[in-house]
Amino acid sequence: MGLKRFIFRRLVEIAVIFFVIMTVLFVLFRLAPGDPVSRMVDPSMTPEDARLLMASMGLDQPVWTQYLYYLKNAATGNMGVSFHYGQPVSHILMNRLPNTILLFTTSIILSALLGVFLGKIAAWKQGERTDTLMTIGALFCHTLFLPWLALIMIWFFAYWVGWFPITGMVSPDVWIDPEAGFVVKALDVLHHMALPLMTLIMIHFGSYLLVMRSSMLETLKDDYILTARAKGLDEKTIRDHHAAPNAALPVVTSVGLSLAFSINGGALTETVFTWPGLGRELVFSVSHADYPLAQAAFLLIAIVVLLANLVVDVLYAYLDPRIRY
Amino acid sequence: MDGVNRWRSLIVFLLVAITVSACHEKNDSHTLKIGLAEEPRTLNVWLASDANSRKVLSLIYQPLYVHDPETLDLVPWLAESMPAYDAQSLSYTVTLREARWSDGTPFTSRDVAFTGNLIQAFKVPRYASNWRFIDRIDTPNAHTVVFFLKQPMAAFLSGTLATPIVQEKEWSGISKKAKTTEKPLASLINHRMKYPVGTGPFTLVQWRQGAYLHLRKNPHFFGNGKIINGRTMGPFVDDLVYSVYGTSDVAILALKKGDIDMFWWPVQPGYISDLSRQKKIRLYTNEKSALYFMGFNLRRPPFSDAALRRAVAYTIDKDFIVSRILQGQGTKMFSVVPAENRFWCCTALPRYGDGWTREDRLKAAYQVLVDAGYSWTVPPVDAAGNLQPAREIRLPGGQPMGRFTILTPPADYDPHRATSGLMIQEWLRELGLPAYARPMSFSSLLDQVKGHHDFDAFILGYGRLRLDPDYVRNLFHSDNDRSRGWNMSGYHNPTFDELADRSTSEMNPFKRQALVMEMQRLIARDLPYIPLYKPSVVEAVRTDRFDGWVEMLEGIGNIWSMVQVKPVNDDGA
Repeated sequence: MGLKRFIFRRLVEIAVIFFVIMTVLFVLFRLAPGDPVSRMVDPSMTPEDARLLMASMGLDQPVWTQYLYYLKNAATGNMGVSFHYGQPVSHILMNRLPNTILLFTTSIILSALLGVFLGKIAAWKQGERTDTLMTIGALFCHTLFLPWLALIMIWFFAYWVGWFPITGMVSPDVWIDPEAGFVVKALDVLHHMALPLMTLIMIHFGSYLLVMRSSMLETLKDDYILTARAKGLDEKTIRDHHAAPNAALPVVTSVGLSLAFSINGGALTETVFTWPGLGRELVFSVSHADYPLAQAAFLLIAIVVLLANLVVDVLYAYLDPRIRY
Repeated sequence: MDGVNRWRSLIVFLLVAITVSACHEKNDSHTLKIGLAEEPRTLNVWLASDANSRKVLSLIYQPLYVHDPETLDLVPWLAESMPAYDAQSLSYTVTLREARWSDGTPFTSRDVAFTGNLIQAFKVPRYASNWRFIDRIDTPNAHTVVFFLKQPMAAFLSGTLATPIVQEKEWSGISKKAKTTEKPLASLINHRMKYPVGTGPFTLVQWRQGAYLHLRKNPHFFGNGKIINGRTMGPFVDDLVYSVYGTSDVAILALKKGDIDMFWWPVQPGYISDLSRQKKIRLYTNEKSALYFMGFNLRRPPFSDAALRRAVAYTIDKDFIVSRILQGQGTKMFSVVPAENRFWCCTALPRYGDGWTREDRLKAAYQVLVDAGYSWTVPPVDAAGNLQPAREIRLPGGQPMGRFTILTPPADYDPHRATSGLMIQEWLRELGLPAYARPMSFSSLLDQVKGHHDFDAFILGYGRLRLDPDYVRNLFHSDNDRSRGWNMSGYHNPTFDELADRSTSEMNPFKRQALVMEMQRLIARDLPYIPLYKPSVVEAVRTDRFDGWVEMLEGIGNIWSMVQVKPVNDDGA
């Protein structure tokens, strides 16, 4: 099967899966108890007020009519208006998405780089103290409870030592100052990003380290490594230029999928660090029964993950000449 | 330069640059920084149903009258004096103050009439019920508004006149456009307001979503430098900056560090001892206009029996709930109207075992049940009058009482209500009642209680009750016993209904007060709800930069504070 035919078949599959996900999401939210209005009313409001609110959200229509509107709107790229914010869902997602991508994509890339770097060293020094320390350290960091670690990091680095801002993505002082230029504002964002980034890297680098170490150990047993040694190449060249690139293939898959899932952010990280991303919004929209926002956020995640799977498959063929479709 | 050195140089450069940016300082001695627990929902006043939106919008849009922080009486705000009532024409005449909108244009009676007409035309939820009895609004001149009522309506003063007034110039185009759409109300409330024009002490400079809101002193604020209600009006700060903090933990750290001057959110009891030790932080404790209660389903046994409800009331130890569960940060309640709402709260109500020992409460509850015909295999009180573990209570007809559930929100949503449910379960079991507390998601709870009426008992609360007692009617009038209606218990009492109907149209406040008090007596006797407690509002502020906070019901976050707070070293401005 040629690559083009493979991609076409996968795109058809993605379209079918996407439709199923859309329908399941719609049904799940309607099956969930409660409604968006119940949280917005108080005893000073009459049942008529509540009915008008329901009608303004389109929830007075039969479920089938709502579903058809939902499909029609989705087909035209219109994901509706958030019940909570009263704003188009696309506007809210586009406002939050870049923040999530900035933090989580950076953290995944840096975690992977660190994990691959340390993983190849650990594998190279298998059985030595360095390997043991790195493996235990990776497992320890990977199993830390993220909100706890985040709070400790904030308490120590932001509150006690005072090196970083406590939370948020920007300092109002800097951003409302008319004299602050682009560079100052960009540095301010980096300054705010440092602590959540450190926390995420601490949590995630371990898994990449372990995958890389395991893959590298397998690779080191291959004949071409023996050949390289027989040719008289130095150890560093064998490790970095012969073994590591091949051993990194499983990490590529892992990074690809992590990048795709990163757009849902991390609700816990974003909440503790008050990072205005998609993860917090996702949790908020589900807990407040904001159907349009929650549905759109899940659909966005679904489509990115589906496409990322496809990209990873194609990338694999590119990186590993043995794989052909 | 090799690769390693290049990386090192880049990292050093970034560290230096970030350090430089961290040292960015600005003279902000007149900038009040406030922390919020959540981002405001909207700047559209007609959509803003959440507390955080109102914390911003209440400083921009102003009503004709506000409540005095001490007496809670209505005091003229955009109005110049109290309204003049003409019983013959059933009208109120309000004279307006000289005021300007934040864009510099004059505030006139046309704006008031426009606001009322807009609410009526769109039936704006939350406001429409306070305007549907207005027949017409006349504007004989730019500073006089006459409201003609269709029928006498007591809620006019505290409801209608407390509506925020919007600018006709700003909203007429929006409303015209909304009327042409398929869903006018949705178009109106979903209109995106970028820079709302108001008459309040502050005006919006920028809302950077997810980060902060920046408000600046409104140079056209009508109160600036004047004395209103015996207070010299500011604002005495130039800028207000609201920042959002994802959790209370980090907000408290920000307050301790000095990043914010005030955290506008109730401080949880767990933080209080730490904050009270901080030299530069002051805690303010105020009462809340709230009601947390246990409700019963009167539509079906066993709680259709008032005697059983009374027995339950005797078993509940409110002192324990307040002192142990709320850790002292709350007050016991005996009426459905909070005691701080002094004019309307009835204090002469039965207190069902308040202050008694556990033994006395159980014996009283036992006696109520015995008198009503209940029996036990093993009663909770033996022949000698001593308490003993009770077994198998039977209804007056002789059949065993089936197990019943007390629905509560989950502990992660509200630990106080969830724990209170568990404690009440234990107290009722001492009486032999097969009670089971069942925490469930808040949405499910509302659905089951309010939507389907499928429950035995529940614990819920209202955290923001209005001062006008009209909600007592809404909560217990038999007309509201319907799916999603406010009468969740299914309380039906023609006497109560008649009193409630009269109270809504009684224009004499003292006669209305008597009616509302009688309504409370009926509720305390029949107990569709057992009022339990209301939590206090504990708020934390720094004392090294600003002072002048004004305490009132619901805390120091109010319009009076925002126009009176001033820098501590200010010469008086």
